[in-house]
Amino acid sequence: MIAARGLSIRTGAGHAAVRSADLAIRPGERLGVVGESGSGKTLLALAMIGMVPEGLQVSGEIAVGGTVVAPGDEAAWQRLRAREVAMIFQEPMSALNPLARVGDTIAEPLMVHRGLTRSAARAQARELLEETGIPQPERRLDQYPHELSGGQRQRVLIALALACDPALLIADEPTTALDAAVALRITDLLVRLARERRMALLFISHDLAAVARTTEAMLVMYGGDIVERGATDRVLADPAHPYTKGLIAARPSLAQRGRRRLPTIPGTVPPLEALAEGCRFAGRCPVELPRCVHLRPAATATASGSAACHLLGAAP
Amino acid sequence: MSYFLVRRGIGFVLTLIAVSVVVFAVMNVLPGDPSLTILGIDSTEEARAALRERLGLDEPVVSRYLAWTFGALRGEFGTSYAFDVPVAELIAERLPMTLSLAISGMALTVVLALVLGIAAAARHGGPGDWAIMLFSQLGIAVPAFWLSMLLVLLFAVHLRWLPPGGFPGWGDPLAAARALVLPTVALALVQSAVLARVTRSSVLEVMRLDFVRTARASGLPRARVLWRHVLPNALVPIVTIVGLQFAGLVTGTIVIENVFYLPGLGRLLFQSIANRDLVTVQALVMLFAAIVVTANFLVDIAYLLIDPRLRGARA
Amino acid sequence: MRVPFNLALGAALVALVLAVALVSLVWTPHPHAALDVANKFAPPSAVHWLGTDQLGRDLVSQLMVAARNSMAVAVLAVGIGCALGTGLGLLAAARGGWTEEAIMRLSDLGFAFPALLFAIMLAAVFGPSLPNVVIAIAFINIPTFARVSRAAANQVWRRDYVWAARAAGMGRFAISRDHILPNIAAPVIVQMTIEFAVAILVEAALSYLGLGAQPPNPSWGRMLSEAQTLMYLAPQLAIWPGLCIVTAVLGFSLLGDGLRDITDPRLTRVRAA
Repeated sequence: MIAARGLSIRTGAGHAAVRSADLAIRPGERLGVVGESGSGKTLLALAMIGMVPEGLQVSGEIAVGGTVVAPGDEAAWQRLRAREVAMIFQEPMSALNPLARVGDTIAEPLMVHRGLTRSAARAQARELLEETGIPQPERRLDQYPHELSGGQRQRVLIALALACDPALLIADEPTTALDAAVALRITDLLVRLARERRMALLFISHDLAAVARTTEAMLVMYGGDIVERGATDRVLADPAHPYTKGLIAARPSLAQRGRRRLPTIPGTVPPLEALAEGCRFAGRCPVELPRCVHLRPAATATASGSAACHLLGAAP
Repeated sequence: MSYFLVRRGIGFVLTLIAVSVVVFAVMNVLPGDPSLTILGIDSTEEARAALRERLGLDEPVVSRYLAWTFGALRGEFGTSYAFDVPVAELIAERLPMTLSLAISGMALTVVLALVLGIAAAARHGGPGDWAIMLFSQLGIAVPAFWLSMLLVLLFAVHLRWLPPGGFPGWGDPLAAARALVLPTVALALVQSAVLARVTRSSVLEVMRLDFVRTARASGLPRARVLWRHVLPNALVPIVTIVGLQFAGLVTGTIVIENVFYLPGLGRLLFQSIANRDLVTVQALVMLFAAIVVTANFLVDIAYLLIDPRLRGARA
Repeated sequence: MRVPFNLALGAALVALVLAVALVSLVWTPHPHAALDVANKFAPPSAVHWLGTDQLGRDLVSQLMVAARNSMAVAVLAVGIGCALGTGLGLLAAARGGWTEEAIMRLSDLGFAFPALLFAIMLAAVFGPSLPNVVIAIAFINIPTFARVSRAAANQVWRRDYVWAARAAGMGRFAISRDHILPNIAAPVIVQMTIEFAVAILVEAALSYLGLGAQPPNPSWGRMLSEAQTLMYLAPQLAIWPGLCIVTAVLGFSLLGDGLRDITDPRLTRVRAA
């Protein structure tokens, strides 16, 4: 069980990039986080592995397997990374050390954390590569990243993340840089691995289809707030928050194609300092109330989970 | 072995040939009559004719060039006009001094620069970083020969710990080492200032790359990330500058040997200029230029060892 | 915009050295070569601000004239090298093909000769003199500027307005003059500032070795070589010329760094990160 309570991340100027977020992931659970760029979803993910960039202040409580870890306790996080929480990133092209053989990269955490010998770590690296379904795993061990395709590199990164058998794998936009067919295979691989290993998966994406395919539960983020959460299929079928509704309506589907213009959410995500103190969506929301600008809505139970919107609290 | 190596190897040989043409042209063609340069304008026509005869200056320029180059390839650089012994012998006698100075200077430079540069990068923005950058900025502005004089003032004149100059010969290794301490430090301090700066910025640049984040996410200790992941990737620009600096170091030895009265190739070069010994000067200038070109070629080979992406069929 | 610290300090030091060099053209406290052997090794006083040397010459006056010599060598040598090198770089970028290849291979050759070595070679053939120092430093600067200007010019050649000018029938020479040159000025000026610093160091080293300024023409480097023989007798003579060199070199190198920081957005961003 890995959980965050009241997690806030502020910039040096004091603007909140993430506002008191709560989340909990049970062993084997696959949780999606959806939002546009600037919604705070990547920062939230980085906080769960203790890697929020320097210069940002993290407050709140993060508990990994029952023990509370201070956000800035680098030594404690270093012991937890790879063994409890592992992470893969958006850009497989640049996320691997270009000067190291793939086999050595995967073997390194095994030697450091598990004290394995070089040959034992290498044998394990081969098994991990095989598990990710990369063709010719034996041959890959001695190859360099520049000799692999994007999809193959992402599989190598997944093998690296799995090396020390983590309880939670965070995947931050793992398929954005890949072409569509490869992206599908990678998301399916993540689901299969999470099931087989009873490993929790935190799947960060702006792509609703990928989240639908991969996760059981989901969070929707906007401007640093979690605005809606619930079971993935039910949130997508029956969204409660105006932002979630807009997001789903703006998604192209095959049935609609060519028939009418795609609805869009008017405007773009404003910069942090321009966000409203109340509901972050105020200003772009089509059904805004006067109090939305200054009063932050509390989470209210909905048919599919919960959502933070004033329209849901009071009778409409 | 690879296309990259073959290409650079051919470039290396062509550059050496071009350098030899330039050296030969400047020393033999530009002055008009080298015998006039050697003997001076108050010399007699008979004496000049005799010298031209002795040095083979009446031959056509091209055959003189070819004779010089092929001689040099066999290790024969002609006979010194001033000392009346083969130039090769003079060089062989002085080479150990210059080589030990250059190599010890380079070694100290690299160690100092890597330690300071990495320390500065690891303390990016802090007072330690600031102090190291101040040292580096000053080191770039201080001439090596002046630094040498200051070191002599402090360690030889005031404290009397080390000799102010001269060389006792290799017979007494301890005395020889003591004589080389100040010259080596003077060379290395100045050179490491530049290299420390390059090391710092290269390390900082690499630290921002994605794979460093991957290494951290794998729970690797900070020091291991720095030494095993950041540093090898930061080496390419560092090695480039080391190659360029070796050129600076070799010419630096010319100056430093004259500051400390050390009997090396640089000192020989100056004696030869004073003696108008053009044959020796020509051989020494070619030798120094060849060392510089070779250092740059070695840097290219070092790239190959560092970066697997260059080892492929084409690059 | 805030002026960066290195730019401000560099500009101040450079202004100081240039001002001293210019003033020395019309005024020095004493004639710089005036001998006063009875008054040799005088300590600093109201008459001789920094004292006198082994021949009783006024130190301040010598340092001022030396500043003028040093600046003159740097400006002439870097100016010539920059003009020729930038011209070659523009030509390489404008013509492309084998012209570009030939110019770049020739500039590779230039890198085989450190400035000091080339100057030594010239001194051996023509005898030591300041003009030889200028020629040697200028020659070594040509390939540097050829590379910098070609790289910058090649980028400008790809811009839309250059395509527009070509489509309007403008010739390669006119485009180079009217569009390319003004747009590569920034990196070329930054490089010039840095090369000034290098030129001052090379001139000092050559004069120290006796291959540059000849007596009685004062030079910081030669003053140091004279001071070296008197190190036990008058160590103070070894201090001031060195400080002058450091001031001038530090000024130009800080100024160059500062100018690069404000003209190259990529580097500025790196520094801010």
